[in-house]
Amino acid sequence: MTQKDPFEPDIVARALAKNRLGVPSVVFFGVAGAAPLTVIIGAISATYAIIGSTAVPIAYVAVAAILSLFTVGFVAMSRHIVNSGAFYSYISHGLGRVVGVGAAFVALPAYSVMQIGLYGLFGAAAANILAAFGVITPWWVCAIAAWLIVTVLGLLWVDLSGKVLAVLLVLEISIVLIYDLTMLSHPHGGHITFSSFSPAPLLTPVAGSLLVIAIAGFVGFEATVVLSEEAKDPKRTIARATHWAVIIAAFMCSISAWAMAVTTGPENIAATAGEHQTDLVFFLVGKHLPTPLIDLGYLLFLTSVFAALLAFQAAVARYQFALGREGVLPAGFGRTHPRTGAPLAGSITQSIIAIIALSLYAVSGLDPLVYLFAWMSTIGGLGVLILMWATSAAVIGFFARGRRRENVWRAFIAPFSSFLLLSVVLTATVIGFGELLQVDGSSPFQWLIPVLYCGVALIGFCWAAIMRAGRPEVYAQIGRGTDGRLSLLNDNDFPKPLHADPVGARSFPY
Amino acid sequence: MLADQYFLIAHQDRTGRSRLHPRATGLGLAAALLGELILEGRIGIADGDLVILDRHPPADALAHDILDLLIAQQRHREVRTWLAFLSQDAEIRVGERLVRLGAVDLITRRRMLSTEVVYMPNSPEQRNAAAWAPARLANLLVRGIELSLTDRVLVGLVAATGLTRHVLYDFEMHRQAFQSLPSAVDALPGDLRDLIEYTEASVGSVLTVGRR
Repeated sequence: MTQKDPFEPDIVARALAKNRLGVPSVVFFGVAGAAPLTVIIGAISATYAIIGSTAVPIAYVAVAAILSLFTVGFVAMSRHIVNSGAFYSYISHGLGRVVGVGAAFVALPAYSVMQIGLYGLFGAAAANILAAFGVITPWWVCAIAAWLIVTVLGLLWVDLSGKVLAVLLVLEISIVLIYDLTMLSHPHGGHITFSSFSPAPLLTPVAGSLLVIAIAGFVGFEATVVLSEEAKDPKRTIARATHWAVIIAAFMCSISAWAMAVTTGPENIAATAGEHQTDLVFFLVGKHLPTPLIDLGYLLFLTSVFAALLAFQAAVARYQFALGREGVLPAGFGRTHPRTGAPLAGSITQSIIAIIALSLYAVSGLDPLVYLFAWMSTIGGLGVLILMWATSAAVIGFFARGRRRENVWRAFIAPFSSFLLLSVVLTATVIGFGELLQVDGSSPFQWLIPVLYCGVALIGFCWAAIMRAGRPEVYAQIGRGTDGRLSLLNDNDFPKPLHADPVGARSFPY
Repeated sequence: MLADQYFLIAHQDRTGRSRLHPRATGLGLAAALLGELILEGRIGIADGDLVILDRHPPADALAHDILDLLIAQQRHREVRTWLAFLSQDAEIRVGERLVRLGAVDLITRRRMLSTEVVYMPNSPEQRNAAAWAPARLANLLVRGIELSLTDRVLVGLVAATGLTRHVLYDFEMHRQAFQSLPSAVDALPGDLRDLIEYTEASVGSVLTVGRR
């Protein structure tokens, strides 16, 4: 706690602020995780092709609104729990440790599967680009090359530095804006239509699918809270940066989705998208822009997918590190490489799972875009949606036990509305999940995935119960992340008991 | 002193490089500096805040300096804040003290593009003394000799920052010692145990982020 005293220089705060992150660095970190260019080129065209609905732009706007509401409570709670890196620690603080472990068991496959899906996108896109140079390679060769680099960087715990991310992101945003302006200046039939922003389709059954795909596109923005102890002003920097990350990603995705529909005409977008897949945007702007700008777009697309791959690798490793350190997973996961601090076990586990999945896909010859990228990111997206839903409930539960100087909007209204909205989205998604995966009525995939998530959550609940019975001292520490035995900041409303003498009371007795 | 011992354990005696992530080493050294003041009865820890118990300057110049800083900066009391603050230059401060003791030399090395300044043992005697620091601790632990209070704190910091494997490198031979580690820390007085737990927590969050 700080006391205001204008007369003395605050050496400590000044020295600490020097090496800390401001809003822009945190925004870059969050947006790089959400990877908007990956979403625009990979996910939006796939959504148009697979779902065939023209309501994609409004879906992104709607999801951004829901996630902004969610962020309000999420960030408010992050101020009160130390080391708030992962959803499950919120859930164990808000809803109890049993639910928390269940959430952790949902989170592990969800993030892991999302990353594996991205390998499919990277492989397919890179193979396409190489084919343009006359080098014909199967997609899995490119995917495995990316896997190799990601594995090595993950073991060295090299995150792309803030500056590299910033440059890439600025380039990505500029190229997206150029593409959008080009598409908008060549509308189908000569006039721009705003019909894609009509909210009417959100009331139809297709909305569930649209919204979960859109949410999958935002996954990664929540990683900003990992940096809360590295931020210049922990109270404000993270909150602002997280909101900015959501807004930037939403703006880019919805405008681009709209621009695509404008230039092909809303009635033709599904057919065109089905024909060109991840090439859709480049095909649409290719007629109007010089080739170097298109090539740059391809390049930035690849770097953006790659940055997302790294971000997810780190996210999975971080989850396993935190779980290992607090004893939910075997202690080996909690160890780090002494010199680099890399959580080795987590990183290696994710790499091994990824290479097994990639090999299976390579051997079976399934289409990487549909069965690897689209399926895996939808499945992972459902998992993250479940986590967000549970987290917004946890925020309500946490603040119900004391508002901790947050106002009513942040502590109750925003979390409650986001919980309601996320419940609606989650229900719609689970009901329509079979359509989302494009399987017919008799396929087990109609119901299998949500059931599997329930299954892993149940395993988590049981595991927590076993821990409570067998290792109560470890169980008592669940949800404290990498922090070990200390968790809640002492910031309840009661004044602390008076100490003998607070540090720095400036009266020398001698 | 506590921080000196920790410095010698946390750095390679041949290259002077940190054995841990540099920020983890910094946090360990910062905790050791605070630990020295606690051991001398100058400060205490209550509810995550530092409390000054005795304003009389310690004999050691560095400890005196740190105590003065704690007295001067009254608005900050949290242990975590002080650990983060002191960790930024703890390496240089403790390094300088070791130079004054004659335990290390200040070495400037040319690298490809930059020069690197490290505090490292330079003569054979210095290197011997540096290598003895972890060996002494392992020896005490393996033989089950009653540890002094300072050594118990040192063991706690070694474990909290992730140097246990370096001190007790031979798993078979040191198995007994591994099992005695938790009890050595648990038996510490409350202030020192809190200090070690806060160090462990800070190291955990620094490593999770992975920034330099």
